[in-house]
Amino acid sequence: MLESLQKLRQHLLTGVSHAIPFIACGGILIAAAIAFAPMTASGPDFSNAPRLKLILDIGTAALTLMLPVLAGYISYSIAGKPGLLPGFLGGFLSGEVRAGFLGAILAGLVAGCVVEALKKVPVSKYLRPIMPILVIPILAGSLVGVLMIKVIGAPIALFMDHANRALMSMSTGNGIALALLLGAMIAFDMGGPVNKAAFFFGSAMISQGNYQIMGACAAAICTPPLGMGLATLVRKKLWTLEEREAGLAAIAMGMIGITEGAIPFAAADPIRVIPSIMAGSAVAAMIAMVGGVGDHAPHGGPIVLPVVDHRAAYVLAIVAGTLVTAILIVSLKLRSNGIAAEKQKEHA
Amino acid sequence: MKIVAVTACPTGIAHTYMAAARLEKVAKNFGHEIKVETQGAMGIENKLSESDIRQAQYAIFAVDIEVEERERFNGVKVIQVPLQEALKNPENIFSKLQR
Repeated sequence: MLESLQKLRQHLLTGVSHAIPFIACGGILIAAAIAFAPMTASGPDFSNAPRLKLILDIGTAALTLMLPVLAGYISYSIAGKPGLLPGFLGGFLSGEVRAGFLGAILAGLVAGCVVEALKKVPVSKYLRPIMPILVIPILAGSLVGVLMIKVIGAPIALFMDHANRALMSMSTGNGIALALLLGAMIAFDMGGPVNKAAFFFGSAMISQGNYQIMGACAAAICTPPLGMGLATLVRKKLWTLEEREAGLAAIAMGMIGITEGAIPFAAADPIRVIPSIMAGSAVAAMIAMVGGVGDHAPHGGPIVLPVVDHRAAYVLAIVAGTLVTAILIVSLKLRSNGIAAEKQKEHA
Repeated sequence: MKIVAVTACPTGIAHTYMAAARLEKVAKNFGHEIKVETQGAMGIENKLSESDIRQAQYAIFAVDIEVEERERFNGVKVIQVPLQEALKNPENIFSKLQR
């Protein structure tokens, strides 16, 4: 059991290590473009800045490639070369159906396992040469494709629809409960369907003149990458060199309101990272709501400060959420390291 | 002599495996013990273990593409040849070893 979990972690890490440059490059380019574009009530304005728009487009392309690369190399780690096609395909489709990085991880794992199983099917030696370049990619690719579009994609569309209605009905009730929920949703899958449901709800409320919902979302959007980045800075020993570099990139992305900066950490260690960032974002959203923060732009992070009401509360919310995330992940990691060390002692 | 080898070609469906078979056969004629890993379109097959590599005096790479997980072979004498060499005159490769 423990061994298979370690194997699973190894596959996830193989995917993550290949995906990190795509997140960092794409995220930083997008962040740079947004940082220099004028922030308006409808978000960053690129209409008079063709060069910034160009940088934004390149960054967006790099970030779009992240999901296929993540799923592709998870599958590659499990099944080798024949795993690449179904993995890449599943990751790409995960982006298309807005299943986000959790969808991509699922696609990669399923693709890898299917290919590994297909490789074990006995075939005559005349068929053998076409197995890895024809039969396996077509069979496994179709299977993963159907899974992503029909089995994963359709419920996600349904979920987005329901989530929007549920949030709408909550918007007249308890503001603090709503803020906590929105914050946790923003952090949960970082750009996936749950995040988008909360984000679209926040931006939809702006057009109805309710800026506080987006204010809560805006604070929650930036604390996952900021918190993870801070954690890599204060406890260097807990992280690999690669993770510390991803941490610096995450801070830059957090400042500009790109939640995706925390994905390398969440994909490598979802059980500890996702609860930590959800708690941090929930705290940030709650403080923003209590402090009456309003955000007039459908975007988040410190970058939108010029179009925010009650700026001091906004900054306080971000700082508090960042600290909560950093403290939680560091103590969770320390605790599990302690348990691992004890186990080693028992074995010795 | 104990030898490990890796074969790999760009397509990875025929020559990779033909070269592996040739190397195994010729090595036996020379009285060597050989284990050949294929890095074909199926991915890595008949994977060389750490102890296979540690015990080997030589590693032969008959490859037209980059060897995957090359770092496993650090500390072993590596002879790299184009894959065609293993198909056409594998004897050459083995006589190189003895000199």
